[in-house]
Amino acid sequence: MIKHDIVVVGGGLAGMRAAVEAAERGADVAIVSKMHPVRSHSGAAQGGINAALGNVEEDSPENHAFDCVKGSDYLGDQDAIEVMAEDAPRQIIWLEHRGCIFSRLPDGRIAQRPFGGAGSPRTCYSADVTGLVILHSLWEQLERFQVKVYEEFFATALCVEDGVGAGIVAYNMRSGEIELVSAKATIFATGGAGRVYAKTTNGYASTGDGMAICYRAGVPLMDMEFVQFHPTSLKENGVLLSEAARGEGAYLLNSEGERFMFKYAPNKGELASRDVVSRAEWTEILEGRGVDGCVFLDLRHLGREKILERLPQIRELALDATGKDAIDSIIPILPGMHYTMGGIATDKDGATSVPGVYAAGECACVSVHGANRLGGNSLLETIVFGQRSAAHAANYIKSVGNVRPAEKTLAAEKDRIAGILSRNGTGERHPQVRKAINKAMSDYAFIFRKDDELRQGLAELHQVREVAQTMTTMDKSKTFNTDLVGLLETEFLMDISVPMMQGALNRTESRGAQSRTDFPERNDVEWMKHTLMHYRGPNADPEADYSRKVTVTKFEPTVRTY
Amino acid sequence: MSFSLDIYRYDQETDELPHRDRVEVDIPTNMTVLDALEWAKAEKDGSISFRRSCRSAICGSCSMNINGVTGLACKTPVDTVLKSDNSVSVDPMPNFQPMKDLVVHMDPFWDKYSRLKPYLQPADEDSAHATERRVSPEDMHKLVAVANCVMCATCYALCPVVSVDPSFAGPAAIAYAYRFIEDVRDSKRKERAAQISDDYLWLCAHCYACSYCPKHVDPQDDIIAVKRATIEEGLTDAAGPRHALVVAKTIKQTGMLHETEVIQGTVGRFNIRGLIKVAPFGIRLAIAGKIPPLFLKPVPKVDEIKTIFDALEAPVLA
Repeated sequence: MIKHDIVVVGGGLAGMRAAVEAAERGADVAIVSKMHPVRSHSGAAQGGINAALGNVEEDSPENHAFDCVKGSDYLGDQDAIEVMAEDAPRQIIWLEHRGCIFSRLPDGRIAQRPFGGAGSPRTCYSADVTGLVILHSLWEQLERFQVKVYEEFFATALCVEDGVGAGIVAYNMRSGEIELVSAKATIFATGGAGRVYAKTTNGYASTGDGMAICYRAGVPLMDMEFVQFHPTSLKENGVLLSEAARGEGAYLLNSEGERFMFKYAPNKGELASRDVVSRAEWTEILEGRGVDGCVFLDLRHLGREKILERLPQIRELALDATGKDAIDSIIPILPGMHYTMGGIATDKDGATSVPGVYAAGECACVSVHGANRLGGNSLLETIVFGQRSAAHAANYIKSVGNVRPAEKTLAAEKDRIAGILSRNGTGERHPQVRKAINKAMSDYAFIFRKDDELRQGLAELHQVREVAQTMTTMDKSKTFNTDLVGLLETEFLMDISVPMMQGALNRTESRGAQSRTDFPERNDVEWMKHTLMHYRGPNADPEADYSRKVTVTKFEPTVRTY
Repeated sequence: MSFSLDIYRYDQETDELPHRDRVEVDIPTNMTVLDALEWAKAEKDGSISFRRSCRSAICGSCSMNINGVTGLACKTPVDTVLKSDNSVSVDPMPNFQPMKDLVVHMDPFWDKYSRLKPYLQPADEDSAHATERRVSPEDMHKLVAVANCVMCATCYALCPVVSVDPSFAGPAAIAYAYRFIEDVRDSKRKERAAQISDDYLWLCAHCYACSYCPKHVDPQDDIIAVKRATIEEGLTDAAGPRHALVVAKTIKQTGMLHETEVIQGTVGRFNIRGLIKVAPFGIRLAIAGKIPPLFLKPVPKVDEIKTIFDALEAPVLA
């Protein structure tokens, strides 16, 4: 049995920031991750990280907080947003002093660029590889503190003993052993769930593992209906072209060569918030002003030098996928699934409803993003709440004695996985099941939603859920069995797709990324509340609970325009 | 398009020897080798094993040999590598021990990084600062290329020196050492230069195999910069730096490579034991009639060569 005081599940930005904080506080901490930390999808974040440093224009945490609240379409909890905006400059300085390679202004301070939905240039960056440089800086700190990493360990279940978190069960991908990782505090930092949709900017690893694991163990999922569709993903493969392109001045064009965004956002144009831009693009496409289901991103006027200096990665990604060079061609793009605003319900310290269980980063829902996240806030969230959850956990473990080793959960997981591996022949293979989930979500819970379609989607998910009970693997081996891991991931996707669809159906209003054609207005009278989804078993739909009201501190909801 | 994937198959637990499978793949055109592998795994054989995540050349997971050359599967379009028999072969990266199919044991590669103490070590405390350190755009720009490294290990797999001496740090780790050596915020330039020298920096033969970098990091330039830094830090008491310096010296002085002096200079003029060791080699050269001249007459206009050296500010043995 593996045993630590704090175990962090996931080795991306939130997980590593949590582990470093725990290590700095002298706690016995380890990371369990299904891949090496530097492989994490945080590294694919391109554009930047927000903080009101005021290096380019005067700025304040209060301005930052307001932009977040407005961006969230007033669903974000304002106390949590204030914490994030206040802490942001401190966390950026922390990263910089640990060697993070930020782009600089001529006077040597950290450079900042404009981003969607922001009142001033607030996004700190490193060309268009910001996620990667921060990922490396944090991995360097793991090396510094010699944090133990259980690499290529795939978490399968959360252990709860006597009502408190007691660690996890994980599948050691290299040996095929199922192991108990006992811990007084468990911090989930497993990232998003982009893979519920067919087209996503997310990597193959973004399968909502932590969300599903916590959900099954009794921690509610919050606001799962809010899915961000990024306005600029490549048609060919869904790969992301950063908002930094528009931050640096790129245009969006329709088939008539018109910069259509000003019809939808007269003030901000291309730099409106992402939900607004994606809806506008999709409207243009639906109304026949797209080309092959796409609109265009135009960087040409930025010039070769600026593109090569500030946006080299996205130029190359577009070149690889489309054969078109953004220096002299327009790039076909369309909205693609990018981010899950919802996730494991937590408070401002990352704590969940189960003592000793925390969540941070994209897998968590604090909620700082509400109904729509602003660009540059996801990296910030990982750093701020990764740190805070570990700080809280480090105190929490002092108050608890040894936790009981969760032998029962271990035995149950061993049985369950042995059962899956022993299934033969007749069942559907998991890639086909995953495709069916993807199809239902993409067809019925995309940018525009409505009652009958969501009901149809839910019905299809119910059918897929039946089939998913009998999924089989072709690989029965003990060494690096990615077929088995893929099946377990598909089960996770199955479990979280239903609350996403159900939440979208229940919420009879349009707010942020949830856009109901049958309920086109935001309804503050009835819906200033979060969606909590409680697990009721593998074949049952969740129990929806709307008891958690949105926390409003300074900013009363008003009409939201850009 | 339809073609066959010719896949290296191996399971360390059950197989004594690897074998190959040919899997017929049918995917749209303009897809990558990774797309082909994903399709083959989803539709034909779920047991095909490989690492992958981002599919946009930023996570570094899917490095493998494609038709015998290491690269990222997600960045390699199938139509650019299709062989005349309408197939693409995929193998695990060389210089690594295979685990299963295209998955290799990466630990020796990560260990090369750990040895660097790969974290910023500033002169002052790194906690409790109110503002960022000021770094000029020019100083930060030196780190930009290496900041794009995704640690995919392509260069490490391609490196012939790693293949003959696994204790060699390899191009990726040397580039990462460069990342700290050239970081004006760091205070351990000399210690880092010494560490990387101990990790056989000077074994690099400058073959430029590592210039085949999917992320344009091009570690070969960083390796040269790190070698230069070790000399600047005075770490010249080893065969590698001595060799570099004496070669430069003889060329600067005579316009030619003065081989006798290079041998002495590399081994060390007063390194009697070392000189005795190379003596048989010298004798064999003499017997073969290939002994270089003991004295060299400088080429005409040697002053111009000196000017070039001065302009380049190249370090030269005094």
